[in-house]
Amino acid sequence: MLESRQLSLSIAGFKLLQGVDLQVRPGEVTAIIGPNGAGKTSLMRLLCGEIKPSSGEVIFGGLSLDQWQPKQLARMLGVLPQDSALNFPFTAGEVVMMGRIPHATGLAKDIEIVDAALALVGGSYLDKRPYTQMSGGEKQRVQLARVLAQIWEPDARGDRVLILDEPTSAFDLAHQQLSLDIVKSFVRQGVGVLLVVHDLNLAASCADQLVMLSCGRLVAQGAPEHVLSVDLIERVFNVTASIGVHPRTGSPMVIV
Amino acid sequence: MYRYSPIKFISLAGVALVMALLCGLFSGASDIPLSKIWGVFSLKALDIDHQILQLIRLPRVLLAALAGACLASCGAVMQGLFRNPLADPSLIGVSSGASVGASCVIFFGGASVIGSGIGLPAITVGAFVGGLLATSIVYRLATSVTGTSVATMLLAGIAITALSGAITSLFSFFADNEMLRRISLWQMGNLDGADWPRALSMGLVAIPLILVLPREGQALNAMLLGESEARHLGVDVETMKRRLILLTALGVGVAVAVSGVVAFVGLIVPHLVRLIIGPDHRYLIPGSAILGAVLLLLADTAARTLMSPAELPTGVITALLGAPFFVGLLLQQRMRMVG
Repeated sequence: MLESRQLSLSIAGFKLLQGVDLQVRPGEVTAIIGPNGAGKTSLMRLLCGEIKPSSGEVIFGGLSLDQWQPKQLARMLGVLPQDSALNFPFTAGEVVMMGRIPHATGLAKDIEIVDAALALVGGSYLDKRPYTQMSGGEKQRVQLARVLAQIWEPDARGDRVLILDEPTSAFDLAHQQLSLDIVKSFVRQGVGVLLVVHDLNLAASCADQLVMLSCGRLVAQGAPEHVLSVDLIERVFNVTASIGVHPRTGSPMVIV
Repeated sequence: MYRYSPIKFISLAGVALVMALLCGLFSGASDIPLSKIWGVFSLKALDIDHQILQLIRLPRVLLAALAGACLASCGAVMQGLFRNPLADPSLIGVSSGASVGASCVIFFGGASVIGSGIGLPAITVGAFVGGLLATSIVYRLATSVTGTSVATMLLAGIAITALSGAITSLFSFFADNEMLRRISLWQMGNLDGADWPRALSMGLVAIPLILVLPREGQALNAMLLGESEARHLGVDVETMKRRLILLTALGVGVAVAVSGVVAFVGLIVPHLVRLIIGPDHRYLIPGSAILGAVLLLLADTAARTLMSPAELPTGVITALLGAPFFVGLLLQQRMRMVG
């Protein structure tokens, strides 16, 4: 389990986050939502250890994040950034193979996992293609496959966690659906998933737990049908919305 | 995009290296038959040909090969570290800092030092110290509590390079004719001072470096994804950056110290190898080392023989051959992307 305790972050006197308590439980999808500048990205970067908090701490599997060996941590915690600046002509297969860097399972096994991960995101045809010549959606899928290959198998040291920052931003509808199905299949294996998303409906349809941030504070936390209320959306986003129900899944829908 | 198998490429380049070594050993102002090759290994020099081989040509070809390998593999590492295929060891100020050091020694040493036996070693030491100083300034400027910023380092490198250029120009401005000639010859990159002490000191730095750098290949590959991505893959990014910057500063500093500013090798060779076998640093670094050795050897052999018995500066040849070749490659690559 990944959790934050009274997490605060100030940079140059600005309080970006204040006293955030949150838990990413295994086998669940937790989504961070909130308006621009609410601190979603800062929170995500704190939770994956990219930056250090001003106060409070991040606990992963019972230990503080910086007590973990970087390599061991990488075997259990995968992070997919919003966009990657890779501008060298690696092939898709080579990029996904980088997800196996923290592991020492042998080349044959690595190749097997890389092929399976590429196939899962529907990117087998990209295997030998240079990354620099792919479309935005193809790049995003290859990066997703890389992070999946990184946490492909259960680790003896504890539960795996996947952190995804706007994972569907470059996808069309079909690939959005595909990537969410993939995330759900990992959740069923007991992986804890943390999503950072803008789209409230996307968050509502796939998350077990929503975490709403506003001005660096956690303002609501819980099941989507509890968090997404007309009142709270009015207060946080300054928008009058109606809440409907998805005709098929029954999850709440925000209609503006 | 077609790629050549890395193993095949490295073996072919290895064969080319042996041939370039032989070619370098047996071409020059005086004709030496190939049959004298064993004289290189005999403990006692039998005749004048053997002496030329042992005391003049062998240290020179070794120095050229080692300096070329060192510059090219450091270039490959820098390009990975800065995530920029156009990065070059001179970017972090090593070459220009070394220039200041060398011209400082030439200027203040004057005729008495330059003409005497300690002239060349003194210039070498000056260049090395200058290079290391420049790099450490650039590194300090770019490092804060949050880590080393690669972007700031590039900018600081440009600033230090401009400053060093100005200081070198000042030295040249106030120098007399003889000093001026020395300074500009050194800046053109010249291997004519090659002797055993230089070849050995280059080897002492280059050989461990060439063996150690490919081990960082996997981590450098991860760096190309981005710094935070590398960190999430379990790479200790800060320690790796510090280690690699120091190692490349040492490698380039010593290479520049013993051979002057040899242009283009650190930039062009890794780029060329990447076009042939792809960007994987585990093969790119050793491939660049071998091809760098071949290229500098051939350039130096050409420099010695084209206008024999006079010698051209080696750096001039590398730039003259390298630049059009590089442009040709870029054009070819562009055609392939269009077509």
